[in-house]
Amino acid sequence: MTTIREEMWKTKDILFNFAISDLKIRYRNSVLGVLWSFIEPLLLLAVLFVVFSTMFRFEIPNFPIYLLLGIICYRFFQNGTTIALNSLTNRSATITQIYFPRSIPGLSAGITSAIMLVFELAVLGIFMAVFQFTPPITILLLPLILALEFILVLGIALPLSILNVKFKDTEFIWGVVISAGFFLTPIFYQFDMLPQAIQNVLQFSPMVQLVTMAHHVVLYGIFPSVNTILYAVGSISTITVIGYLIFRKYQARIAEEM
Amino acid sequence: MSDYAISVKNVSKKFKLFHEKRDSIYESAAGFFQKKRHSEILQALDDISFNVKHGEIFGIIGRNGDGKTTLLRIISKIYSPDSGSVDVKGRVIPVLSIGLGFHPELTAVTNIYQSSILLGFKKEDISKRIHEIIKFAELERFADTKIKNFSAGMQMRLAFATSVLVDPDILLLDEVFAIGDLNFQKKCFDTIMSFKKRGKAIIFVSHDMEPIKNFCDTVMFLKEGKVGKIGSPEESIAAYVDYLAKHPEINPKENLSDIV
Repeated sequence: MTTIREEMWKTKDILFNFAISDLKIRYRNSVLGVLWSFIEPLLLLAVLFVVFSTMFRFEIPNFPIYLLLGIICYRFFQNGTTIALNSLTNRSATITQIYFPRSIPGLSAGITSAIMLVFELAVLGIFMAVFQFTPPITILLLPLILALEFILVLGIALPLSILNVKFKDTEFIWGVVISAGFFLTPIFYQFDMLPQAIQNVLQFSPMVQLVTMAHHVVLYGIFPSVNTILYAVGSISTITVIGYLIFRKYQARIAEEM
Repeated sequence: MSDYAISVKNVSKKFKLFHEKRDSIYESAAGFFQKKRHSEILQALDDISFNVKHGEIFGIIGRNGDGKTTLLRIISKIYSPDSGSVDVKGRVIPVLSIGLGFHPELTAVTNIYQSSILLGFKKEDISKRIHEIIKFAELERFADTKIKNFSAGMQMRLAFATSVLVDPDILLLDEVFAIGDLNFQKKCFDTIMSFKKRGKAIIFVSHDMEPIKNFCDTVMFLKEGKVGKIGSPEESIAAYVDYLAKHPEINPKENLSDIV
């Protein structure tokens, strides 16, 4: 018997192929196709920008870029986990008819969202040019932060794909988590605007840590403190290990649950 | 080490038969406090052991619900057995019911790639054979049509063509000849015989005793999840017919002549 890890390693070639077909299915019958990857975040940006620069007025320098960066970071997390959520349930025919490593759909959802992220980062680049914003040198750390986020996405995508087969309401619960998370992450406000008591609780959220670090390195040229980095790495690896254990517990019997 | 292509040892499998399936977290939590039993255990397979040699066609017969498809699913790793072990030498392709895990929203060609890559075959190898597969399946005009627009027969043909042309070491066939015209059936039989000649192992499940008698070297009769008989096709079919005759409530006598 091969272990799950060996099996996952052996099938790394399949993953990319699977991610591409995920994208094809996602944009099937849509005229604009992959352009949605650009349009969706831009529309969200437009709405938030109008609301928070005219009605509520937060004094955040370079607000459009601040906002877009937060939206992009959050959407990476949102896309990866929500695509993963239905990645196994959508393929019930495949799962009951052939054997393949059950980690493939969940992991490839993470890759699909990473591909979409690349498109969205291009939009961010265009924005920076339009607003004549020259990012500080610390922006070179952004890929590392996003890589850390990628691990978080995989660590949640894997168990979510399996849990949604086992418990059909995982989908609804996760939908609530994602919507709440959007407001509880400093995307359209700054973290220190929140009351101290709330800050104390929310600082444990890995998304808060990731988005704050992204803002720091892209906009302010602030190098994340060792504490922040250690904390983010620690919490994300804990989540990923727990996620993997959940996945391992349920994966063998998944075809029977279909 | 044995020189068997497939070696099944003491495999058992139970299913929980849900009268009211709890598949939400709320129901699981609420059900935890209820005394009422909501499921019963169905022993689908009970201590099954058999071996299949290279170049052997192994038939499995038995009533509906007596574990034939479950057994094929365990051999192809779709299900995992509760106890016992399955040792398989080489790459297995299962052709169960219709399709080969095809995705309805993808085209025939994309599906061939996706299913065979998932099953562990190399993309380059498939590229070399893709035309051959489409031709074998007689679907030249529909290569870039989405699977959801295919008839059951077309899907079955595509599944069979893919499974034989990617050249697996072991082929599991579940009622594949129920669909397909005579011409296609003949092509299937020819392919299966050439597989046998090249030393590949085939497991063949059918309710039609004619091909079982003509093609299989060994036949197993599955009786309510247990091994009823393993022997020559004649012996096992005789055991099956005998069993049906003793249980007229399952299968009315007058139909027996149709089966044999």
